[in-house]
Amino acid sequence: MKNRCFPGLSLLLACLALLPLTTFAQEIPRTDAGLPLLQGIWQAQTRAAYNLEDHVARTDMQAGTSVVLGGSIPYRNSALARRQNNFENRAELDPLNKCFLPGPTRIMAMPFPFQIFQNDEHVAITFEWTQVYRLIYTAGQEHLYPGFEFWMGDARGQWEGDTLVVEINDLNDRTWLDAAGNYHSLAAHITERYTLVDENTINYQATIDDPEIFSEPWTIEFPLVRQTEMKRLLEYQCQAEAEEANGAFEKVDNLWYPAPVPEGNTPFDSNAANELPLPEVISEINRLEDGTPDISGYFTSDAGGANYGLELRENLALFPPARGVVVDPADGILPYQTWARAEQIERREAWRGYDDPTAHCFVAGIPRSHYVPSPFYILQTPGYVVILHERMSYRVIPLDGREHLPDSIRLWMGDAVGHWDGDTLVVESSNYNGKAWLNELGDVISHAQTVVESYTPVSDTQIIYRATVSDPIVYSRPWTIEMPLNQQAEELLEVACLEDNNDLEHLRDVRDEHRAQMQ
Amino acid sequence: MKHKTLLTIASLLFTQLFVSSALAHHSFSAEFDIDKPISLSGKVTRMQWSNPHGWIYIDVENEDGSLTNWALETSAANNLIRRGWKRTHLVAGTVIQVQGFQARNGSNTANIRGIVLEDGSRLFSGNADELSK
Repeated sequence: MKNRCFPGLSLLLACLALLPLTTFAQEIPRTDAGLPLLQGIWQAQTRAAYNLEDHVARTDMQAGTSVVLGGSIPYRNSALARRQNNFENRAELDPLNKCFLPGPTRIMAMPFPFQIFQNDEHVAITFEWTQVYRLIYTAGQEHLYPGFEFWMGDARGQWEGDTLVVEINDLNDRTWLDAAGNYHSLAAHITERYTLVDENTINYQATIDDPEIFSEPWTIEFPLVRQTEMKRLLEYQCQAEAEEANGAFEKVDNLWYPAPVPEGNTPFDSNAANELPLPEVISEINRLEDGTPDISGYFTSDAGGANYGLELRENLALFPPARGVVVDPADGILPYQTWARAEQIERREAWRGYDDPTAHCFVAGIPRSHYVPSPFYILQTPGYVVILHERMSYRVIPLDGREHLPDSIRLWMGDAVGHWDGDTLVVESSNYNGKAWLNELGDVISHAQTVVESYTPVSDTQIIYRATVSDPIVYSRPWTIEMPLNQQAEELLEVACLEDNNDLEHLRDVRDEHRAQMQ
Repeated sequence: MKHKTLLTIASLLFTQLFVSSALAHHSFSAEFDIDKPISLSGKVTRMQWSNPHGWIYIDVENEDGSLTNWALETSAANNLIRRGWKRTHLVAGTVIQVQGFQARNGSNTANIRGIVLEDGSRLFSGNADELSK
């Protein structure tokens, strides 16, 4: 009918489809080097997260058509029974229902936005789902630790014309490819292809080669669509939401949003930090072509045991000692309000260890993410500094001077906005949810915290990090910590914390025994 | 050759255990009891390369000849990997002695502070104080 009414339209569309992609190549965003620029916020337009193949609707999934080129997945006959069992028992068996890491291709198809950052050496993808990120090395960097498996695999990319081709190896065999039970083995190798077909569309392909499960390699394809109205990702912390809902992680009324904040609070009260002299530059620092300090790279913090206490402290049972990183107040003592100091002291008791969010594998928050004993990677791309924490969380710092999120939106990692002040990156953050602890000792923070941080490079391998924290619910005045961040030649590995966290049940036993004794 | 391999493992273990608190994600003091130091000897049944902690499982023979499997918490797999560990290290059947602290909940779980290999090499002898340095 349509064709009869508009006989010329089909012909025109057919002709357009035949035009080579290069016809449109000049219209896509490009880097200074002429490569397609993938940077931006995207989301898959597909039902493939439910089932890669054709499927009808179920109570837990929307219907959808196959994204497998050719229509179906070429399973070996010997591998079909397991898929069937997976499907029938998916509520119990699907790793995603336990909030485990989804694997590199499944997370691309999930109904959550993600943000791509791109520079000459990396493409990083940060996902709204549970602070997961992928770091793709694109400058031929050597994989330092082959032979160990990871949930998200090891990803190395290169540009082939206008297509980013990513080879993923070292995958474990614990992820599924979708919610319908399609799966792979340790032998899986995945090749992804990202092609920017117009300003707002990436054509995404992934070829799965796994001779133990499939008779031949097969390919999925779906579009990634730019989220033009979205200025930043928010958070969906899968396990934290689940544990709050089932009571395994208990609310703290006087610290979590929206606990009342004393009047007269001045956010970003950084006078104390401003009175500290700038760190002394030791030697020449790295710079980008435009003269901006280059603070990118792999870092570990010289935190002096800050994860076991911000104040100077000798041993306490099995708590390691802490050097003390508080530089303001000058006596190194946190200016706790009386009730909050009592809370901090109680948190040292063994039965409170269960309450530390990081024991549940939740994200560490700010500033703790800098001094949990785990490395991180700083990326600089046009308009952003991005910090990827090995312990699977990230922080996006836009440099465009934007306003903070509305007060009602609260995040574990806060809302950060940064700018360069001379050679120092200054970051102001707010909109915290108050659920974090500042360390294992139990230093206290609430949703009222605002943080002014400074990253000052003092040599080509060292940054001096400072964080001035204002929190009128917990403290009588702002305070500042300081520590060096040291750069070295390394690569990030993966910390899949929740997936093998045997410790939490022990900590719960200790808490429950205490509570039983108190009754 | 065997001796050289053991020495390599010994040095690796020493290094990793010395910084065993690195990558800690929970309070050791809350989970393990400083008043429950333990010493165990047994055969490795499994090594789990996981984060935020790796786990060595050993069978310990009881007085009546039965076996009890103990879970021994180590540093994170990422630490072991960065310090040169391979999957071939500490394979099933390796006999080890360990020192550590038992979990407060009384389960057959311990955070280990020292390992002695079958040839008597002492891989680590320390206490919690040293772990944070």
